[in-house]
Amino acid sequence: MHDRSRPPAIPDRYPGYDVLTKRSGPSWNDKTREVIAERLSVTATPLFLSAGEFQLVRAVAARIVPQPSTRPPIPVAALVDRKLHADIADGYRTDGMPRHREAWRRGLRALEAEALTAFHRPFTELSEGMQDQLLQRAEAGELKAADWGDMRSDDFFKRRLLRDVVLAYYSHPAAWNEIGWGGPASPRGYVRLDANERDPWEAAEAEPGHEADAARTNRHVR
Amino acid sequence: MSNDTDWLVGAGLALSAIAATAMLQPSPPRRLERKPASLPSRPGPHPRASVRAARRLNRAAGMLAASVLADSSVEHYRGSFKNKAMYTPLAVSALTLAMSAHGTADRRPWAHRLRDGSYLLAAATGLIGTGFHVYNVTRKVGGFSWQNLFYGAPLGAPMAILLSGLLGFCSERVRDTSRAQRPHVFGLPAARTIAAVTAAGLLGTSGEAGLLHFRGAFHNPFMAVPVTLPPVGAALLFKAAARDPGDDKTRRHPLTRAWMWLLAAMGFAGVGFHAYGVSRNMGGWRNWSQNILAGPPLPAPPSFTGLALAGLAALGLMREHPDA
Amino acid sequence: MFVDISDDPQATPRAMAGRAPDVFRPGGWVPMRCHRDDEPVDFVIVGTGAGGGTLACKLAEYGFSVVALDAGPYFRPLEDFASDEAEQTKLYWTDDRITDGANPLQLGSNNSGKAVGGSTVHFAMVSLRLRPEWFKSRTLLGYGADWPIDWREMWTYYEEVEQALKISGPITYPWGPKRPRYPYRAHPLNAAARVLARGCEALGISWTETPLATLSAPRGLAHPCVYRGFCVAGCSTNAKQSALVTWIPRALAAGAEIRDLAMAGRIEVDDDDRVTGVHYHREGRWRFQRARNVVVAGYAIETPRLLLNSATDRHRDGLANSSGLVGKYLMTQSNQAVWGLMDDEIRSYKGPPSLAITEHWNYEDNGKDFFGGYAYMSQGPLPQLWANTLAQARGLWGARLVEEMTNYNHVAGLKIVGEMLPQERNCVTLADEVDQYGLRIPRVTYSWCDNDRRLIDHSLAFMTRALQAAGAKDIWAQEDDTCHLNGTARMGDDPRSSVVDADCRSWDIPNLWICDGSVFPTVGGVNPSLTIQAIACRTADRIHAMARRGELTGSSRRAAQTRTASQMA
Repeated sequence: MHDRSRPPAIPDRYPGYDVLTKRSGPSWNDKTREVIAERLSVTATPLFLSAGEFQLVRAVAARIVPQPSTRPPIPVAALVDRKLHADIADGYRTDGMPRHREAWRRGLRALEAEALTAFHRPFTELSEGMQDQLLQRAEAGELKAADWGDMRSDDFFKRRLLRDVVLAYYSHPAAWNEIGWGGPASPRGYVRLDANERDPWEAAEAEPGHEADAARTNRHVR
Repeated sequence: MSNDTDWLVGAGLALSAIAATAMLQPSPPRRLERKPASLPSRPGPHPRASVRAARRLNRAAGMLAASVLADSSVEHYRGSFKNKAMYTPLAVSALTLAMSAHGTADRRPWAHRLRDGSYLLAAATGLIGTGFHVYNVTRKVGGFSWQNLFYGAPLGAPMAILLSGLLGFCSERVRDTSRAQRPHVFGLPAARTIAAVTAAGLLGTSGEAGLLHFRGAFHNPFMAVPVTLPPVGAALLFKAAARDPGDDKTRRHPLTRAWMWLLAAMGFAGVGFHAYGVSRNMGGWRNWSQNILAGPPLPAPPSFTGLALAGLAALGLMREHPDA
Repeated sequence: MFVDISDDPQATPRAMAGRAPDVFRPGGWVPMRCHRDDEPVDFVIVGTGAGGGTLACKLAEYGFSVVALDAGPYFRPLEDFASDEAEQTKLYWTDDRITDGANPLQLGSNNSGKAVGGSTVHFAMVSLRLRPEWFKSRTLLGYGADWPIDWREMWTYYEEVEQALKISGPITYPWGPKRPRYPYRAHPLNAAARVLARGCEALGISWTETPLATLSAPRGLAHPCVYRGFCVAGCSTNAKQSALVTWIPRALAAGAEIRDLAMAGRIEVDDDDRVTGVHYHREGRWRFQRARNVVVAGYAIETPRLLLNSATDRHRDGLANSSGLVGKYLMTQSNQAVWGLMDDEIRSYKGPPSLAITEHWNYEDNGKDFFGGYAYMSQGPLPQLWANTLAQARGLWGARLVEEMTNYNHVAGLKIVGEMLPQERNCVTLADEVDQYGLRIPRVTYSWCDNDRRLIDHSLAFMTRALQAAGAKDIWAQEDDTCHLNGTARMGDDPRSSVVDADCRSWDIPNLWICDGSVFPTVGGVNPSLTIQAIACRTADRIHAMARRGELTGSSRRAAQTRTASQMA
């Protein structure tokens, strides 16, 4: 098992790229602007989760998608909360899994109970290593406290927690910048499709040692 | 590829548009019909007829060069000028354009060394460009497949600058031989040779349009026009080229001339159709940064105009020189 | 001027009061012929996707009166679709469903749709024909079940659909019997597709451009594809030839009525074992549309669910279920993948996700240790999908995940659509819980068989070699995914072993029809949408012929009389 406790070493492969500079250009349509504006305006006040649950989701999300300190963090927990508030479901659940709202409530309660049992402290007060340890045990299906009910901890971890947190993180433009994705694309799509081809409205990837060149190009991405 | 090449493409487009317009301006009326007293009178047509034909050929070569300049600017910008050699057709077609403008204005009955050189350069560029484009297609996975013929470097495109060079070169030969009994190109009768070259060019260009319009599934019935009218024009030109030089009655070729004017007009109408095609794509002209590149190529159709002008020049020479 | 109370297509129905949304014009409308609930129509069709949408169009064009219900909203793609994966989950069927079995299915995204146009609104547009032998796979290949339809007949219907959708495809197709030229040319390959091509050439097998239901040139008011890459999140260009922008506008023009946000709950059946109409929920109340014929086209889960939920005292096991096979023989398709990293920038987010394909292992039977076949295609996952794939299938989270995601632009992948064998134990049944309409929710049970595993193993080994040969590094296999759903109301020659006959007509109830992927006896190794639409075209022709011969119980004769008019339309 790889070491999850170290901070992410996210290479800055697309220096200076900000997908939001394309926001008012032909790559975004009105519907997209509306949807992304709403996403960017999400505040840290939970609408579905309780304050305690929200803090717990924040702590868990920080382990699932650790963020660099060089930019404002993506409000992952708030995005998860909004999806629950809007009651946007997956369209299926495996036998034994409650519906998504109930699964989150129960899973968070159980995770907290496991933290208290194992370390006699709330999850949010554990060290990162301890938090990872608990999450790994959940992932492996080893957590069996009564609070889980008939929901298996590995089902909760994989099908609910991991899924929702990862989807929330990669729904945010800041995450798109990190991976050099072109972002929204309508009405304008793309012209240059072959290998190593990029349109002037796509992120330029930095060659090692030539970050400044890429940054200069990326400033012109519109 | 950086975005710094944008200006270059813009400049290329603007220059070619201005040049194409200028090329089509009627030559200034010759108010002073000075008799070239220095030339001794001699039997046969007046050399001025040959010079006029040569100037028309310069104009045709210039029109083709303008089309190439604009087209290669756009297409090679689309290709991000990945290979430095991709700047070559821009420079060469710009030079050819300038030389053709010079030739169009020049009434002297002899060839111009710089023009000659640049036309040869253009022809060579066309040949080498074709080689590059063939290489580009073959090295892609799938090789000579419809996919790569449709979307790889267009094999026929560099032929346009080759044709421009050839027509220009012919123009200089016509000038050079204007005082001779019979204008000729390498000993071949000039008018008929040029007619044949132009006819071949029309067929090739029509083939290129056919390939790309086939790619577009001929979704608009007008897309059939550039694959039907030019071959007829080519046939008429071939027929003119093969005429019996002794038969005075067939020297005027009114139908062929009319057809050439039709093709010239078609070349310009094509720009309009292609502009409409761009507007039909998602986002229309507002999404120009994609649709200029992905839509039908605006600068391509005037190459038909260039060839039609060359055809007219050849026919004009034919009319005035029975045995050209 | 008509004033909308709400312009949220997910909250308020749009198709009403004599008009339906014009999908080609923002804010636009087209006229729509409307029927009263108590006016019996010739056909009420439940579902407007590949099966129902196609059939609604064809039947309306033959002059039948048609009302088509869809539980989902009526979108105008140009204005309603965002370039955003999260927002566009609104196209999916996300109502509550339970999955179990040894290999519980993932539902809700790539195998279901809740919108007028059904899942064709977000399908990947891959439009393939079944291999001819698969229509007789039991007789000719020794597995599965035979279809009651001859492949040569299907060939003509495939052609009809390919023309109707202006499929863009290669000039010559490398496999199977000769087929007519695709109406539109193939799209340019993106870098991801060229990776597939290089792998195939290195291993000496054929590949080609994937026949796709997305325009490579303008068509009417629809724009050609702009290669934006959001295909499976809905096409805001209208290049995608979904039922929403092809069959349904045609259906409206021919006089069909579409009702959006209309959830069918129960089919009514009388004492003579004839269906009389459909109970459906719209605008907050239950309504009943009377009909001479009912067509169920809700896809492989909702179709059996509706039939089972319509049980009566006379039909205790649900409608059309004397064989006991409604809900049985559910088949998904294996959707395993091999992923790797290229030195080149691939940026597979550009263009339709599956621009290149090889059907080699659909047509080559030597060298297989399994029954059936698979195609594999190049891939272009968007960020959310890719991150979730790395998390779920590769088990990455924490720093490893965030770091691995920065390789996004260098990822290339090959993914199969593989044949899974029909097994009676794979099924759709009703759970005791109910949904927001008070209807019992479906329970979907799925377990792979040994043959399924052998096919998957073969494909993963082969694609790994192909990806290596194309120069990929850090290759890994995604072993858990499945896609399309078929079966659960299979067609056949024998009422004891099938639910419907070759004409998609129920053996038990002569004016009840089932027309969608549920009727497939086998699935083959290709995406099913083209075949579903071909079956729908054939069904319409059969119904039309039966009506002319007066064999359509309960249906008006008007259709036969207006045949000439509709042919002119």
